[in-house]
Amino acid sequence: MSTSTPNARARRSPFGTATPSGDTTLTGLQRLPSHTRYPLTPSRLVTATTPGTQRSASRYTPRARGVGAPATPYGLRARQQRAANTPGRDRRRSGRMQRETTFDILKNLGRALAPISQPIRSSPQEKPEPIEEPVDEFEQLDNEPEIERPRLSLPIQESDEEGEEASPEMRPPRMSLSFAEEDMDITYQSVEYPRDTSIRDRDRLSMMSRATGRISGDFDETRLESDGGDETGIVGEDDEAEDTMMSGGDFDRGGETEDLGRFHFDLNFPSPAAPPLEDPTGGDMNDMEDFELSTAQLPQAPSDDDDNDGGDFGFGLEFPPAASPSESHGIAGGGLRDEAIPAQGKQKKISRHGIPVPNLPAGVVKKLATRFARSGAGSKAKINNATLAAIEQASSWYFEQASQDLAAYSKHAGRKTIDESDVITLLRRQRHINDSTTVFSLAQKHLPKELQQDMRLAMPP
Amino acid sequence: MAVQKLYPRATVKRIVKAHSNRSVSKNADILIFLDYILFMQELMREASIRSRKSGEKNISANTVRKVTEVRCFWAI
Repeated sequence: MSTSTPNARARRSPFGTATPSGDTTLTGLQRLPSHTRYPLTPSRLVTATTPGTQRSASRYTPRARGVGAPATPYGLRARQQRAANTPGRDRRRSGRMQRETTFDILKNLGRALAPISQPIRSSPQEKPEPIEEPVDEFEQLDNEPEIERPRLSLPIQESDEEGEEASPEMRPPRMSLSFAEEDMDITYQSVEYPRDTSIRDRDRLSMMSRATGRISGDFDETRLESDGGDETGIVGEDDEAEDTMMSGGDFDRGGETEDLGRFHFDLNFPSPAAPPLEDPTGGDMNDMEDFELSTAQLPQAPSDDDDNDGGDFGFGLEFPPAASPSESHGIAGGGLRDEAIPAQGKQKKISRHGIPVPNLPAGVVKKLATRFARSGAGSKAKINNATLAAIEQASSWYFEQASQDLAAYSKHAGRKTIDESDVITLLRRQRHINDSTTVFSLAQKHLPKELQQDMRLAMPP
Repeated sequence: MAVQKLYPRATVKRIVKAHSNRSVSKNADILIFLDYILFMQELMREASIRSRKSGEKNISANTVRKVTEVRCFWAI
């Protein structure tokens, strides 16, 4: 307001003279917004001329001023100046001299709009949540202690399907047979794998053919033919018997596809029949002989009938029932699978190397089993004899598998003996040992002190 | 448990030796048995899970057999 130009003052001066009395000016001014209080300018002129009046105006006490209006327009001017300096005091004075600031304008606008305006609703409220979730996820990932080692088993319902799907990649354990042919087979079969996986129904068949091929190592050709049999089987699935004959003729294996069937049946015979026929101590060695016997009969088979049977040879019809029992026997049974083990009592098994294998004492196994069964079930779990027998069977399988792995590790390291480092490697592969778990922590958890000491002696940290 | 012997060390050594056709170093059998303990732990855990799923109170031989079958299938 003090910044107003002298020209403006000069212009307004006649108006100021028109209203000489201070009171009337004041009332007029009060109605005006503060920006337009230029009529004050006459009072300024007056101020310039008569300083004495200004002094008298300033001499008013605040209270007197609050009650009465300033006597002179220039007194009003003084009050306005003070108000400009200290707006708080001005506000206290019952709003008489309010300057209208931009804030006031906004406030008035707000008051005017308050009844009508709605609180602003932020657009979809789901949006913040997804933003928060990833943050939590990251935190969870950070806070996660360690990836738990996976359960190595599958639910039984899925195992039938997934097991078959995964089966081509997991090679069954090798029988003790010549390895030179095996190496050739690996390349051949690895080429054949994708095709095998693409054919659901043939999986068992192909697996069987692989298994038989593995078992009868010397019959490499029969395995080739059996895979050829797979192909005919595929074509035969379309109910075109002639095609199977065609393909059989093309590959010149038509006769042998029929062999495949015989081959499987021959395979199926010995494995269930083995326990009664063979000596229970047979182990895998005797089984091997059985298989070779069965395959040895094969070469006679193709001479029987070449294409006649090949035509109506429904693979899809005949094989699944034939293959399923053989699968449970031939595949799951590694070397030591003879189901009558509990019945056989104390007789020692013989390992694949021809060395008699002692059994782990039943007391030890039972103690361990109850220890962990209790911790799993919460209450005290009882283990009856049949269960114990199953567990013993499982542990004998375990020892066989682990020993073979350990032998492989030590062989790879160029050693003759199985070392502690081999077992460490095995433990690490089984993911019992990782960054957070050491052998020593595991030993502390599970082993008595004497054994821990021996272990520490054996392997300095 | 800690008082009496946890397991016959010679037997474990002989088992491994028979299967692997290799000699076992002096204290490696401890670690092998440790691995066996862990295997048993897992076996019993799986068996108890399965038996609880099928509503049995105790672990039956059948459950253990099923669990081992699956495991064997995996191992192959």
